[in-house]
Amino acid sequence: MQEQAPQGESADVTLVRLTASGDRSAFARLVERHRDAVYRYARLLAANREEAEDALQETFIRALRGAGGFSGEGSVRSWLLTIARNALLSARRRRVGQPAVTEDLDSLDELGARAGWGDPSTPEQIVLRLERASLLERALATLSAEDREVILARDLEQLSAAETAALLGLGLQAMKSRLHRARLRLVAALRAQALEGG
Amino acid sequence: MAEQRTVAGLRCGEVLELLSAYLDGELEAERRAQIEEHVRGCDWCEQFGGAFSRVVGSLREELGAAPAAEPEVTARLGKRLGLD
Repeated sequence: MQEQAPQGESADVTLVRLTASGDRSAFARLVERHRDAVYRYARLLAANREEAEDALQETFIRALRGAGGFSGEGSVRSWLLTIARNALLSARRRRVGQPAVTEDLDSLDELGARAGWGDPSTPEQIVLRLERASLLERALATLSAEDREVILARDLEQLSAAETAALLGLGLQAMKSRLHRARLRLVAALRAQALEGG
Repeated sequence: MAEQRTVAGLRCGEVLELLSAYLDGELEAERRAQIEEHVRGCDWCEQFGGAFSRVVGSLREELGAAPAAEPEVTARLGKRLGLD
């Protein structure tokens, strides 16, 4: 009987183990499986295409060197995104110096009001904008890097809450609070587009 | 902003606070039911909650599939990794 190739996460872990043992074709398959997701993450988080491409290359170089240290805790996808995030943070530090730690001082009611909570015309304005992905992407681009990365990890890449918290170096409750506020700011950005007629 | 209502024992502000936890399936059944009852009786929260939910859903649907790495990006990656 022919042995079946492992699927999904199990296949990913196998590929990382084989990569660690020097199997170049396994590494090539690992790159092929995750290249687009890492690039998408980097594109939406980086300052420009060049920085995103650098982060993509750096991610797989570091993954190749560090495959032997993969712990198996969390998915291979979240491991790769963690490497990509570190590469992007390094690039940002080189570009602008150590980023300031920003405190989130807005109350939830203020955030809600900016998102149009309590304004009867808002829901329709926002839903109409969702018909064009470019408008959603533009709204996402107006958010801070901290807001964007929690949305990218949890909503786009659909990492678990625990994986997202680990990726961002946050406690679980802090990550959930940041995610909720980031989503409200995204709704507010879509509403601002609508009000500006853009 | 209109005055907040209390429906099903919850103020609108409490519903706003719990929207993400509701969408992410993190609430206990009793709390979920309370929110659903509030939303059924509060058009304000029904509309805003619906739009909020659509935005979160659209992130995956609209942006999750794109952009794939362009062929030239893929080619440069392969070259850098010695895979070409």
